Amino acid sequence: MEAGRIAATQLPRTHVLGRWARAAGRVARFIAHDPALLTAHVLLGVLVLLALLGNVFWSHDPNTADLNLALHSPSASHPMGTDSLGRDVFARFNQGARISLIIGAIVVVAGALLGGAIGVLAGTFGGWTDNLLMRCMDSLLAFPPLILAMAVTVGLGVGLKTATLGVILTTIPFYARLCRSDVLRVRSLSFVEAANALGARRGWIMLRHIVPHLTSTLLIQSAAVFGYAILSIAALGFVGLGAQVPTPEWGSMITDGLNNVLTGGWWIGVFPGVGVLLGVTATSIVADRARDIFDPRGEYLRF
Amino acid sequence: MGKLVLNRIAGALAAVFGASILSFVFLRLFPGDPARLVVGPLATQEQIDAVSHQMGLDKPLWTQYWRYVWGFLRGDWGYSFGSGQNVTTLMGDRIPPSLELGLFAFLGAFVVAVVLALVATYQRRPIVDGTVRTISFLGLGTPPFWLGLLLLLLFFVHFGWLPGPEGRLSAATIAPPHHTGLYTIDALIAGQWGTLWDAIRHLILPAFALGFAPFAYLVRLLRANLLDVSREPFLLVVRSKGVSRWASFTRHALPNAFLPTLTASGLILAQLIAGSVLVEKVFNWPGVGQLVVDSILRKDFAVVETFILLSALSYVVVNALVDFLYGAIDPRVRAWSPPV
Repeated sequence: MEAGRIAATQLPRTHVLGRWARAAGRVARFIAHDPALLTAHVLLGVLVLLALLGNVFWSHDPNTADLNLALHSPSASHPMGTDSLGRDVFARFNQGARISLIIGAIVVVAGALLGGAIGVLAGTFGGWTDNLLMRCMDSLLAFPPLILAMAVTVGLGVGLKTATLGVILTTIPFYARLCRSDVLRVRSLSFVEAANALGARRGWIMLRHIVPHLTSTLLIQSAAVFGYAILSIAALGFVGLGAQVPTPEWGSMITDGLNNVLTGGWWIGVFPGVGVLLGVTATSIVADRARDIFDPRGEYLRF
Repeated sequence: MGKLVLNRIAGALAAVFGASILSFVFLRLFPGDPARLVVGPLATQEQIDAVSHQMGLDKPLWTQYWRYVWGFLRGDWGYSFGSGQNVTTLMGDRIPPSLELGLFAFLGAFVVAVVLALVATYQRRPIVDGTVRTISFLGLGTPPFWLGLLLLLLFFVHFGWLPGPEGRLSAATIAPPHHTGLYTIDALIAGQWGTLWDAIRHLILPAFALGFAPFAYLVRLLRANLLDVSREPFLLVVRSKGVSRWASFTRHALPNAFLPTLTASGLILAQLIAGSVLVEKVFNWPGVGQLVVDSILRKDFAVVETFILLSALSYVVVNALVDFLYGAIDPRVRAWSPPV
């Protein structure tokens, strides 16, 4: 027994890495065999690349205005044209991709942590804690999400940061409800009962035995929330509540495009919208497939 | 069943009550004094105090909350801080245009979704099915305001077939006599065919932009449900009795597939509200969505609070109605008594 343990810890490190590599290979093969999933990943990959490397290989600055270049239609030197101030729309598009993807990630992580914590607390403790927390979540759900996010943004002072906070707040009840119902399911399983019988404290059971079971729920929900966050931030930017004027954010770029509808500058508003469309569609495909794989009965909320 | 219904109603009321407290607290926590907004930047401190006394802003928070809830229940929704108008009349002016837009968007979305879902599941051809699935994915990812922009560029700027962002009617058209506030119905009642046509032409683009997301959602849901139902044994019985495949789909599978879409109606309603806030801005539609956005920007509590309570109420009422409808439509729900 003792010898076996020593042998296990002294296994060469490469062995573990090899296992990881094989797992990654399995995932890659799985994705490659599913055309929809492959398309979604390629699209997301392109957006991530543009966001990361856009300002490296594309030398135009997103905020340099040059009125001599105003309202040029797409061409080789400006693949997405220029806006009414002569700024390069492609450079702004890349910057917008960066903003949207980063905010999407922040919303997903913060919403999962806060909502997950509320759901786990409500589910494990039950009783009046559960009742109080869940009534709060129901009240949040009764708000139209966009109006809630807008009110929070205005209340805290208009800007990208407060808009992000507003969107995070609207995602919390979705996470909380899902996690709670998962906790209720897991809580009644026999291994939790066993841990309880062995004298484990409730906090320990919660962290060690229940939380790990929420992983797939959280992952699936997070994919859906990521798309929702991109869409909501763009919506807030569109009504002037997200990014402020010079910031190249997709939603506010669409507003700019709307102001140029009559002058015929279609490229100003159309391209950023394509960015939102591709980002959200790709993540919702990923979320949908993940749901099919992990949860054939379909209990997860769809945005 | 009775206990379940009571529980349901209590839960719904609790949610509305919570929403009213939350919205009240949120909006009061805002920095910035609404009284100052009303009197303008040049007013003296005495004027500000007088206005805030008149608006009840100097009272303790719980008194203010009580006045707000009691006033709401009596139909006295206070006065807009920004324009000084009565909120009840303001809402009365702004809700019908939004309602008309929402109704058209929903009806269009529903009809097209049913047809497409039927075609996709009836034909069982991968190409048709794949197309419908792709459209439904794209629909959920399309920002409604961007779709509105796209439609304007195509059908107004490029082709010139449909009117641009000029609201509900052309400048030359006079609004029909007021009955319901929905111009299409009012024009029908008055028999003004020209006005009706003009109103419909103005509705097409915004309704499309607003209805696309609910359509995508519905078509996905209906398709999945139709596939589920079509595997049920009772459909085999129906077919073996000699009913044609088409009739078995439309008469027997479709009604069953509708049930889960009823449950989803709360979500669809939420999508319509959120969408209309944005789409109205694109098309200069004089609806409640534009009013709310402007009010939020101006910190006009009275309007925003009323809107939040109204939408929370409608959300809760819709969901409760759906539960009752379920019992009325589906005999299985009625027969099943829950083990409470």
